[in-house]
Amino acid sequence: MQQIYDVVIIGGGVVGSAIARELSRYKLRIAVLEKESDVCTQTSGRNTGMLHAGFLYKTGTLKAICAVEGNQEFDKVAAELDVPFKRTGKLIVGFTDEDRQRLENFMARGEANGVKGLEIIDRARMDELDPSAGGNFAMWCPASGILDPFLYTIALAENAVHNGVEYHLNCAFTGETKQADGTHLLHTTEGDFLTRWVVNSAGLNSAVVSEQLGIPGYVIKPVKGEYFVLDKLAGQFAKIPVYPAPNPDNTFDTHATPTVDGNVLVGPDSQLARDFQDYESTQAAMDGLIESGSRMFKHMDRSYFIRNFAGIRPKRIDPETGVVQDFVLECRDEVPGVVNLVGIESPGLTSALPLARRAVALIAQREKLEPNPDFDPVRHGIRRFADMNDAERAAAIEENPDYGEIFCRCEKVTKAEILQAIHNPLGVHTVNGVKVRTRATMGRCQGGYCETRITETLHKELGEDFKDIHLGPEGSWMFTGAVKGGDRA
Amino acid sequence: MKRTFTCIICPNGCEITAEYEGTDVRSIEGATCPKGKDYVRQELTDPRRNIATSIPVEGGELPLVSVRLDRPIPKKDIFAVMDAINKLHVKAPTTIGQVVLSDVCGLGANVIITKPVAAV
Amino acid sequence: MNVERHQAVVIGGGPAGLAAAIQLKQKGIDDVVVLEREHRTGGILRQCIHDGFGLTRFGETLSGPEYAQRFVEQAEELGITCLTDTTVLSLEADRTVTASGPAGLRKLRGDAVILTMGCRERTRGALAIPGSRPAGIYTAGVAQEYINLRNLMVGREVVILGSGDIGLIMARRMTLEGAHVKGVYEVQPYPSGLPRNIEQCLNDYNIPLHLSHTVTDIHGRERLEGVTISQVDEQFRPIPGTEERVDCDTLILSVGLIPAGDIANGSGLAVDGRTKGAFVDEHYQTSIPGVFSAGNVLHVHDLVDFVSLEAEALASAAAEYLKEGSLPACPLEVKAGANVGHVIPQHVSGTRSFTLSLRVRKPLKGVTLTVTQNGREVLRRKFPKALPAEMIQLNVPAEKLETEGDLEVSVQ
Repeated sequence: MQQIYDVVIIGGGVVGSAIARELSRYKLRIAVLEKESDVCTQTSGRNTGMLHAGFLYKTGTLKAICAVEGNQEFDKVAAELDVPFKRTGKLIVGFTDEDRQRLENFMARGEANGVKGLEIIDRARMDELDPSAGGNFAMWCPASGILDPFLYTIALAENAVHNGVEYHLNCAFTGETKQADGTHLLHTTEGDFLTRWVVNSAGLNSAVVSEQLGIPGYVIKPVKGEYFVLDKLAGQFAKIPVYPAPNPDNTFDTHATPTVDGNVLVGPDSQLARDFQDYESTQAAMDGLIESGSRMFKHMDRSYFIRNFAGIRPKRIDPETGVVQDFVLECRDEVPGVVNLVGIESPGLTSALPLARRAVALIAQREKLEPNPDFDPVRHGIRRFADMNDAERAAAIEENPDYGEIFCRCEKVTKAEILQAIHNPLGVHTVNGVKVRTRATMGRCQGGYCETRITETLHKELGEDFKDIHLGPEGSWMFTGAVKGGDRA
Repeated sequence: MKRTFTCIICPNGCEITAEYEGTDVRSIEGATCPKGKDYVRQELTDPRRNIATSIPVEGGELPLVSVRLDRPIPKKDIFAVMDAINKLHVKAPTTIGQVVLSDVCGLGANVIITKPVAAV
Repeated sequence: MNVERHQAVVIGGGPAGLAAAIQLKQKGIDDVVVLEREHRTGGILRQCIHDGFGLTRFGETLSGPEYAQRFVEQAEELGITCLTDTTVLSLEADRTVTASGPAGLRKLRGDAVILTMGCRERTRGALAIPGSRPAGIYTAGVAQEYINLRNLMVGREVVILGSGDIGLIMARRMTLEGAHVKGVYEVQPYPSGLPRNIEQCLNDYNIPLHLSHTVTDIHGRERLEGVTISQVDEQFRPIPGTEERVDCDTLILSVGLIPAGDIANGSGLAVDGRTKGAFVDEHYQTSIPGVFSAGNVLHVHDLVDFVSLEAEALASAAAEYLKEGSLPACPLEVKAGANVGHVIPQHVSGTRSFTLSLRVRKPLKGVTLTVTQNGREVLRRKFPKALPAEMIQLNVPAEKLETEGDLEVSVQ
């Protein structure tokens, strides 16, 4: 008979990893099942990287409460988990009296939600904050920020692993058999897991998993958003996120957001996805982003294009009305041992830890959790050469010569960082895994210089056959084998 | 018969038009140098090409070393020559011009190394 | 941090940098340092194993590694210091170069700094090709490095987008190594590579070239499964109804090269929007005094021979600059007129002969190139054809030039 887990978490995105990390504060045997090859490949990694302030959401909703709470604690979280983060503030600009009215409504809502520092400012103040922002006036929200969504998710997962959580990658949940003793036998593509508690944080698949666990009826609408990533040369023109005044239905038109690394994201748009894997860029959406993006960001120039991507927001809707609903976080008495999170979309990144604490509380209400005396909240990321000054660089190279060997020229990523990324605590062994941990291949040449070095180093370090080196997911092979002389061992 | 050729002898890539009967060339126009005329005559009678590829190198700083032929071979024999080269390997160090296979497929051309690969 | 002083710091040890360093040494500049990021000098030629190099520079046809080796050996014989495994991180306006390597971080200031970093490839992201993002999409140069240097085959069923020379060369290389190259698709109505490469890389192997066609969709979630090809109109817009799916596991992109001058981004060096390289004068001096640029980092060349020759011309001027302390001022602008995409140099003195390099915007037959100044013809040259794939170079003699008045270059 296999070992019994206390908690198995289905879905290792930002929410699942936050729950894993918060649960690791207690003496529990925990496993996370992630169907993808890494923890930040779906909704958690495919977004704007915005730390939301919480003025957008209806007062009293989980979205509003968790966003405000998550926002206010994030300086501490970022420091604890070593996550790149800047509290840039955000401008929501307006032109017309109608715009002003909507901004004032948001300000009132934001204040009701507990967002601090909101003010309506005039053009003169806007010029001080960001002269390139359009508009006649704006709502200034100093609490908003930008963060690296890949590294935040990875940091939570790594800290969970550091505190004893097991991660199972490429491990897809396929169904559950409830046991007579109340435990759950979870079936996966990598074998069965027996557990006392199961947490559904399956993101896009959360409604499907919810039904598999015995809670049917939720409907998730996959809403796709496409993006352009612009060169850092465009980033010099975008210091803080500037959004247009919201539409009457409280949605935003295309906007330009600086990333914490200095690029600019133009997007997202909003379209119904074909399915939960529909990450394809489309010509129509690209044309739309170029047109609408140019209105908000005057440097939306083709010479700055370096990549496109798309993300899908799992929007829970009322099946009758189609209206978007709040996050679901529940533990039903009639379905014991299941903590169910459904429809965690934006502001999910900001809300991940507040949601995680509430998920833990649902379990703690039903059984006494014993604190883990060895819990360590601190996680150290890979030290980045790009972030060092000359003296720090010289010292780093002296200590470890691999810090002197530049692998990725565009992003100034060194061999030392690549090696640390390859030997990451989660055991992710893909090129994309190295990419999101180091930024190698994310620059303007898109791996033209460093990809060959990364694959060679993956091979050397892991001893894997080249045929087993993958770009990302299972099946994304890169090589058919050796050109000459049989297989390269 | 009339046919237009793109000369491959130099980067100019002259467009050369030849009138011919069988292998008997009546006229050649468009060549800006004598090599172009020779090229067209050769193409009509016995088209030849050089090929470049690589062979594995043992104990070298690189897994492969580049090779080429020291003279062109009939175009129709390219893949037979590739098959012969695909059986080769060499030990480091290598030097430019080093012959790794003489008279490949009896065609009179040698397979030569084109890169120095140091031993490690 | 200690700053090392040198007469000349050459950034990049490829066919431009080595040629410049050798020429500097031969002109009596003893203190020349070449910075090279790879473990060996020779640059991109190390992976260009096909032949066809050197006819202009050496009078014989060589493979890329052989061509490079001639410069490598000459540099060794002359005792030129080549710091390999050394990546330049930045150039500042005071000609300080910061470089990194396993041996440490170092700062070097050259009385002259020579920019010879070559170029990089345009990517799928720059083109914004719609579709999914699976494995199996490689730029031609990356595929070439995998296949020719690292002994790794990248796929079996291949589609090539773009008819740049590296793409054509890779069509032949992959065919020889057993892959099935299904076709080359070019958005322009004419090939962007040299005619002889169309002949010997595609026609020889019966690989079809489809002009006025492009990839409009990419399929496959994990590994590439196919692409959608569409015909395009004169404005390069896909024509609805012409879509055709081509199954493949590999897409090779050969869609243009861009000068890789990124390290100078923080230096204030003035960049020409047309070439994406520096503005230079007839001495190949950039907007920063004492900083020179030549080869593919200045403007993308068609042939490596011209890269080396240009770098040698640069070195002659740089040697004069180092000995005399200055070079003749170049106040006259050289403008790109009718059908001319760009010109090098963009500024001249009017007192000296100079080498003019240019490319035409579209294929032309039976054309006349003219250089005019103050409404007067300085130079006229007839060409049977002019292709965007080919760089045109000619000498403009000093005796035909006046010391005032901008120049204009036209091809009609």
